[in-house]
Amino acid sequence: MNTDWFPFWNSLRIAAVSCVLVFFLGVCLAYYAARLPAWLKGALDGLLTLPLVLPPTVSGYLLLMVFGLRRPLGMLLARWGIRFVMTWYGGVLTASVVALPLMYRTARGAFESFDETLAYAGQTLGLSDAWIFWRIRMPVCRQGILSGVVLSFARALGEYGATSMLIGYTPNRTATIATTVYQLWRTNDETGALFWVMVNLGISLAVLLSLSLLEARRKSEGKK
Amino acid sequence: MKRGRSAAGLTALVLAAAVLFAACARTQEKKTKIVVFAAASMTEAMDVIKDLYEQEQPEITIDCNYDSSGTLKTQIQEGAVCDVFISAAQKQMNQLDAAADPAVNTENLDFVLQGSRKDLLQNTVVLAVPEGNPRSVSSFDRLADLLESKDIFLAMGNSDVPVGQYTQLILAYYGLDEMALANDGLITYGSNVKEVTSQIAEGSVDCGVVYGTDAYSAGLAWTDTATPDMLNGTAVVYPAAVIKTGESPAEAQAFLDYLSGPEAMAVFERIGFVPAA
Repeated sequence: MNTDWFPFWNSLRIAAVSCVLVFFLGVCLAYYAARLPAWLKGALDGLLTLPLVLPPTVSGYLLLMVFGLRRPLGMLLARWGIRFVMTWYGGVLTASVVALPLMYRTARGAFESFDETLAYAGQTLGLSDAWIFWRIRMPVCRQGILSGVVLSFARALGEYGATSMLIGYTPNRTATIATTVYQLWRTNDETGALFWVMVNLGISLAVLLSLSLLEARRKSEGKK
Repeated sequence: MKRGRSAAGLTALVLAAAVLFAACARTQEKKTKIVVFAAASMTEAMDVIKDLYEQEQPEITIDCNYDSSGTLKTQIQEGAVCDVFISAAQKQMNQLDAAADPAVNTENLDFVLQGSRKDLLQNTVVLAVPEGNPRSVSSFDRLADLLESKDIFLAMGNSDVPVGQYTQLILAYYGLDEMALANDGLITYGSNVKEVTSQIAEGSVDCGVVYGTDAYSAGLAWTDTATPDMLNGTAVVYPAAVIKTGESPAEAQAFLDYLSGPEAMAVFERIGFVPAA
C-alpha cells in the first residue's frame, strides 16, 4: 500500500501545538483562578469546563458561528489573512478548546494541594513572584501538571467532531488520523481504515503508558 | 377513619393510573407506523409529505430517517426496521435487490420486496456557490479551468455519496485526475450532501457540487447545471421500494403509491425534483 503519511504529521502537529498553547493557557488560568473571589471562580470554572461535557458537535457549531467566514469575527480575521476554517491551524483551535478543560482542571487540582507555606518562605527570602512560581510552585506540582499535559495531548490527538465541522476533510491539507479513518471507512477502504486505526491505537497507547509511568513515579516519590 | 380514607385514595389512584395506561395502550395499538428511510436530499420534501399523508390517513404515523443512501443501505443490511427505502441512486437499491445484477449486489442481499420497486424522482446536479460568488465560478467549464490551474477550493461528496459519484463523472468528463487534485489540496470531501451544502453556505469553500434540491433548500445560488453528457448519460434517478425488514408492507405499498400521486409530486416539484422519466 502506497501510504500517504500526511494525516499522521498533521495530527501530530495539531496535537503538539495545541498542547503547548493549552499548557500555558491552562496553567495561567488555574493559577489566577485560585485567587479570584468565589463567585467569579465558579463562573470561570463552569465556562472553562464546558467543552469537556459538551458534545464536540456543539463546540464545533459554536466555533463555526464565531470563526466562520460569514461571521463578523471570521470576516475580520480573514481580512488579515487568518482563516480558521478549512486550515490545519483551525484544527489547533478546536483541539485547544476541547483539551483546555483537562489542563485547567488538573493544574488547578495540583495548585490547590500545593503547600502555600513554601511560597511564604520564598517571600520572606525576598524572592520575586515569578521566581517562586517557576522555581518552587511548578516543580512541586510537576507530576500533576505533566499528567494534564499528557491528557491534553491525547484529547487533542483524538479530537474528531468539532474538527470535522470546522476544517472538514481535505486530503493533504486538513486530514487528520481521526477524519481519515472515518473517510476511508465511509468509502469502503477497510484496509486503509484499519491501518490508521492501528496507527492511532499505537500513539494513544504510548501516550497513556507514559501517563501511568508518570503516576507510578509520583507514587514512589510520595513514599520517599 | 383516617386509614380508611387513605386506602380509598390509594384505590382511586391505582384505578386512575390503570385507566390512563389502558388509554395509552389503545391509542398506540390503533396507529400503524411506517418507517421511511430516505436520502438526505429528500428531507424538506418528505417532512411536508409526511404531514399531508398523516392528515389524510389518521391511523398512520410515518417515521423518517434521513442520511446518505450508502449509510441507509448499510443500516437496512444490518437489520434496521424499514418499510420504504428511497435511495438517491440506483446503486444502493441494486445492492439490496435480489433481482439486480450480481455484479452490483455482490453480497446476494434480498431486502427489496419484488414488484414494489420503481423509479420515483429525478434530481439535477448543480454547481453551487457561496453568496455573491466571490471567486466568480460561472460554469463547470470555468471550474475545470480553475482546477487545472490549481486555483480553486472545491467541496464534493466522497465516493460513498451519490452526489460525489456524479461529481467524479463530471471531473472525468473534463479529463481531470481526481486523485491528483485531492493531493494538491484542492478538494474537501463531505460524507453526506448536507455537509457539502453547509460548507458552501458558510463560505468555507469557493464552490461545491450538490443536487439542485439541496441548493434550493439551503437557499444557495447555482451557476450551472450538469448536462447528461457530463454525467456520462446517467440521469440522477431516485428509486423507491418496499423493504422486507418492515412490519407493515401493505401500508408501505399504499404510501409508496401516494408518493407518485399528484399531491406528493407537487411538493417534490416545488423543492426542485422532477418526476422520473
